[in-house]
Amino acid sequence: MINFADFILVLILLSVLLSLGSTRLMALVKIMALQGVMVSVTPLFLNSHEIPDGGAALFYLVMIFIKGALIPVLLYWAVKRVSIKREIEPIVGYHASIVTGLAVLLGSVFIVNSLHLSLPEGRSFALITANSTLAAGFFLMMARRKAITQVIGYLMLENGIYLIGTALTKRSHTIYIVEFGVLLDLLVGVMIMGIILNNINTAFDDIDTTLLGQLKD
Amino acid sequence: MIESVFLFPFVMGLVSLAAPAKSSRFVLAGTAAGHLLLTLMIWHASLSPLYPAFFTAAPEGLLILLVTSIIFVAISCYAFSYVIETKMAHARVFSCCMMLFLGTMSMVALSDHPIVLWIAIEATTLVSAPLIFIHRSKQALEATWKYVLICSVGIALALLGIFFITLAMDLGNIAGPLTFTSLNTVATRLDPVWLKAGFVFIVIGFGTKMGLAPMHTWLPDAHSEAPSPASALLSGALLNCAFLGIYKTHVLMNSAGLGDFSGSVLVGFGLCSMLVGAVFIVGQPDYKRMLAYSSIENMGIISFGVGIGGLALYGAFIHLIHHSLLKSSLFLSAGNILLGFGTKQAGRIGGIIHSLPRTFVSFFAGFVGLCGLPPFGMFVSEIMVVIGAIRGHWYVSVVLFVFALILAVAGCGRVFMAMSFGEATTAAGLGEKPLRFIPAYALLLTSLVLCFWMPETVYVTIIDSIKMIGGIHG
Repeated sequence: MINFADFILVLILLSVLLSLGSTRLMALVKIMALQGVMVSVTPLFLNSHEIPDGGAALFYLVMIFIKGALIPVLLYWAVKRVSIKREIEPIVGYHASIVTGLAVLLGSVFIVNSLHLSLPEGRSFALITANSTLAAGFFLMMARRKAITQVIGYLMLENGIYLIGTALTKRSHTIYIVEFGVLLDLLVGVMIMGIILNNINTAFDDIDTTLLGQLKD
Repeated sequence: MIESVFLFPFVMGLVSLAAPAKSSRFVLAGTAAGHLLLTLMIWHASLSPLYPAFFTAAPEGLLILLVTSIIFVAISCYAFSYVIETKMAHARVFSCCMMLFLGTMSMVALSDHPIVLWIAIEATTLVSAPLIFIHRSKQALEATWKYVLICSVGIALALLGIFFITLAMDLGNIAGPLTFTSLNTVATRLDPVWLKAGFVFIVIGFGTKMGLAPMHTWLPDAHSEAPSPASALLSGALLNCAFLGIYKTHVLMNSAGLGDFSGSVLVGFGLCSMLVGAVFIVGQPDYKRMLAYSSIENMGIISFGVGIGGLALYGAFIHLIHHSLLKSSLFLSAGNILLGFGTKQAGRIGGIIHSLPRTFVSFFAGFVGLCGLPPFGMFVSEIMVVIGAIRGHWYVSVVLFVFALILAVAGCGRVFMAMSFGEATTAAGLGEKPLRFIPAYALLLTSLVLCFWMPETVYVTIIDSIKMIGGIHG
């Protein structure tokens, strides 16, 4: 029998590596849409013996919609508006980024194994994936110059944190209204970042964050 | 229902977005008054929580709610005149975001569920971002971008910390609800390793928002670029809210018997912030940035005092109240100076005593208070923190603490003196309007009065807030 949870987690890991290596911003947005959907459905497969009730089902649907459709569409618009197709001259090169991604993956395996947590079946792999996603998101924010890639890095970081939460904690704590609040914050956050991004583009004719260096001591 | 205290500003904020632009400032002033009324009703305990699983009227939250409410009333009076006089282009957005900001901060103050607290703190970042870039200048854009990105990432780490605390609950086989109140009662059964990890992440996360060094980098930019009423609110109210998140976790650590660990972390971050703040105050050419660095330094004092405990902890709470009052008053005065002289460079301003005499009074009195001189309350609180630290045998830390204070006073003094009494330059901009200096006076007066006479119920609330970690004699 194919283990669907592992299948999805492998897809998430692949999306992380792909995002580190992709030069085109449009491709990056598509990868984030895929990753968003995969991250949203992970808890369903990790707790496959539990059948989600009405509230939970609604929550997962909303989450797939927001992470897989709404946020990518917002990012898609942002990329269209700023008419920049690819990231030229990243701070860390693409090959080096992929190697870093692999190193991050190895590091997370090592960390999770040395924690000696007595997690239920399949959760340690989820934790490894989560750690890698989180660290890769951080890396993406620091290694790229364009503001839009930094937003994508932030989304990846948030995905990683959500996965850690799913892997570590029991579902009994989950109150969907609270989770929904977290999701809403994320959505509004991306919207506000998009608005500022658009304004940065009109003010500077570019979204290169190295231009944002006037305020310092 | 105590939830009305944050639902009311939310609704009014949305109403003002729909209402005509000219009336938005009236809505703002009305909301401020209504909020103060609701806050007083909660203090009077005539409202009870509708959703006790998420919200409660904890004493430390009540204190911060009251401070926020009082400051907001003063700031809304100031903004009433400011919005018209500066011909602000997006007055409706400004008023709406100010009210939403008030609402989210009130939500922080009442939250009992860690994730609800997190949601509210993240929401404060989001609704205050438009306030910072309301002028749409290149600098304002840069400041907003840094603010949103650094704070969002920082606060995301705090969420990770909250997940670690949930894990500590699972490992201790605790089935109760996830609220600070119920966690405190079962704290000793929580897994200590993951609780510590959670605390560290929460301090880093909410510490970013509170402006603790070395995560403070967004703060000077945001405070200097935001319009002055928003700066006053950011410095006087927002930083306290982030502090509340750290404080609640610190109380939990104390209940779990890990108070020494969390205390040392807070003392370390506190001293670091004080030194960084003080070093950057010295030689700072921009007076609004100088006030921002002074906020970092003062947040350091609060964190230091809380980490030490006992009398220093009481001092830290007193410091929090007075810092909010004085700093928001100073930002309002700085706003008048900015409107009058049209520059943020302290070197180009001189002789405020002649050109803006009424602002001079509040600006200089604020300076006296900020330096920790009597008759303002920071004198009392800083002495309490020092005495508490000496009683706790933190001698090296006390030396660093006093050193940072002296450095900050020297740095501030140079700028304030030159601006107030230096060679006069002409103030070509807007003159002084009563609505723009009376709020600053009122805030200073409140600090002055609280120094000599503190209402019994405020005193009791402070004692209740610190009771969990040993109280004033702990």
